[in-house]
Amino acid sequence: MDERLSVLVLDDEPIVGRRLQPALAKIGCDVEIFEAPGPALERLKEKAFHIVVTDIRMDDMDGIEVLERVMERNPETRVIMITGYATVEMAREAEAKGAFDFIAKPFKPQELRDVIAKAADSLGFHGVAHAAVPDVP
Amino acid sequence: MAEPSLTGAPEPGEVSSAEKALLQRPSFGIRARLALGFLAFFLLAAAVTAAAWIMLSRLEVRLKFLEVADRYTLEIQQARRFEKNYFLYGTNLQDVQEHVANARKLLGSSEAEVFKVLSAADLRRMRDHLDRYEALIQSLVEMEKNAPADRAAKQAAVEVEVRAHGSQMVSFAMELSQKERNSVNQTLALFKRLPVAFLIVLLLLVAFIVNFLARQMLGPLSRLMATAQRIATGDFTPITPARKYRDEFSDLAVALNTMMREVAHRQEILVQSHKLRAVGTLTAGVAHELNNPINNIMLTAEMLKEDYTTLSDAERLEMVDDLVGEAGRSQKIVRNLLDFAREGEMETESLDMAELLRRTAGLAANQIKLTGAKILMDIPENLPPVYGDKQSLSQVFLNLLLNALDAVQKGGSVRISAGGGKEDPGYVSVRVSDDGHGIPPHVLPYIFDPFFTTKSKGKGTGLGLSVSLGIVRQHGGDIRVQSSPQEGTTFTVLLPAAMVPGLGERPC
Repeated sequence: MDERLSVLVLDDEPIVGRRLQPALAKIGCDVEIFEAPGPALERLKEKAFHIVVTDIRMDDMDGIEVLERVMERNPETRVIMITGYATVEMAREAEAKGAFDFIAKPFKPQELRDVIAKAADSLGFHGVAHAAVPDVP
Repeated sequence: MAEPSLTGAPEPGEVSSAEKALLQRPSFGIRARLALGFLAFFLLAAAVTAAAWIMLSRLEVRLKFLEVADRYTLEIQQARRFEKNYFLYGTNLQDVQEHVANARKLLGSSEAEVFKVLSAADLRRMRDHLDRYEALIQSLVEMEKNAPADRAAKQAAVEVEVRAHGSQMVSFAMELSQKERNSVNQTLALFKRLPVAFLIVLLLLVAFIVNFLARQMLGPLSRLMATAQRIATGDFTPITPARKYRDEFSDLAVALNTMMREVAHRQEILVQSHKLRAVGTLTAGVAHELNNPINNIMLTAEMLKEDYTTLSDAERLEMVDDLVGEAGRSQKIVRNLLDFAREGEMETESLDMAELLRRTAGLAANQIKLTGAKILMDIPENLPPVYGDKQSLSQVFLNLLLNALDAVQKGGSVRISAGGGKEDPGYVSVRVSDDGHGIPPHVLPYIFDPFFTTKSKGKGTGLGLSVSLGIVRQHGGDIRVQSSPQEGTTFTVLLPAAMVPGLGERPC
């Protein structure tokens, strides 16, 4: 498959975006970073991303709502939820609404890469993510 | 005492000095006062008894003398009767002599009494008449014995003189009797007035003692009553002496002071334990809040390690700066909570309410995010300062805020507003309003009761509002509540503004 894996990262902590951008680029993803749900949703209208990584808790809108919008528009998109606190109810709700997986803060970049690789696998991007990983010292 | 009403537990020095002052006064107990009152009664009764005794004795003497005077008069009258017989029939001269002698004897035996009744001149004249009369009678006796030739003529001459002296004697005797009788009557009249006088004095004494005792007992009682009401509002200022003497009420005051110290101590424990509960609630939120900077540190450190060789110096420096910044952010989050949780003495200081409210809202920032509620702050900058303890007031507002967050639905709002208190001048009012489901009217009267809670078991202690009210009352303020199912609930905290003169100084 020639197409590169497109990833949208949404987290209201700017540092998260700043660090994940290069981390995910290294494994061959096209990464777009957003700090607010509004612009991110606008962008999602324009483009169907393969993977959306979103924080669950944000000031303006919570991640569940972002998940709902993404699923409405493109059910194929793999949505990975970043949680600060994973309550059973919220996990169940997110799962029912089509979330691909969860990752709890604090996490290492490699952990997210692993989840993204799994999502890429499920989309048929075999080898794409994994091929990039051996760079890690 | 500068701000006694603001300190939950009065300082040990303050208490011991109040207690010392209470106990150091000279003792004059209620028992002593009662004894003194009854002693006054006894003394009055004793005085009346003594007066009656003296009067009766005097009356007795008078009556005896009256008897003597009557007998004297009788003797004189008898003598005169026999004298008349003698002049008519020539008999009974012996009897005249006898009765006159009796009269003289009577006069001699009670001369002192007679002297009191008659003047010295009268007494002398009375005596002269008696002497002369006796002498005349004696001369008649001589005449009888010697039977002189001109006896009839001489007798006639003596007869005139005897009659004159005799009548004088009788009138003096009558006067003596009369005067003595008058004197006895006077004494009797005086004696009759004595019970009336006694009754009047008794009435006055009773009125005074009743009044005095009532003041002595009711004064401290009403004072202690006022103290009890004061304690109920959370003011634990020790009782200080108001009077010169110590009595049983002083012991009660000391006991009350001890009780207040204990209650204040317990209140402090209660406040602290409730605070720790609030800390527990906040800790969950703080843990989540800490996840963000820790996550940032984790990501940054990992990427720094991963790309260390490929990164430019500027990029590395930026990442290190991020690390330092996020570590600082974590520290701040933790310190805020620790500041609140710290167990400390109550310290009163001038507080900027706007800052205090902002800090408190900051403490609950995570609960706010979790609830998804909107917080509207409407705090004017020119609020008068409040004199109080930062920690415990922060606890009050945090408690009201957490309650409000519990009440609102997702997407609801909590409004924190403050004002100079137009309805209550001299107070700063802070309102915490929510648009939640309101408090049912039937539980509204009980919400400040300790251990009353509508939250499910294990979620609330039922101490929050009770402790909050205790803290606010200690500051000389009050908490009011308004609630309706449509409009939600508003708690209004009133605290005395620090600019009011004499604030914190409570008359003891």
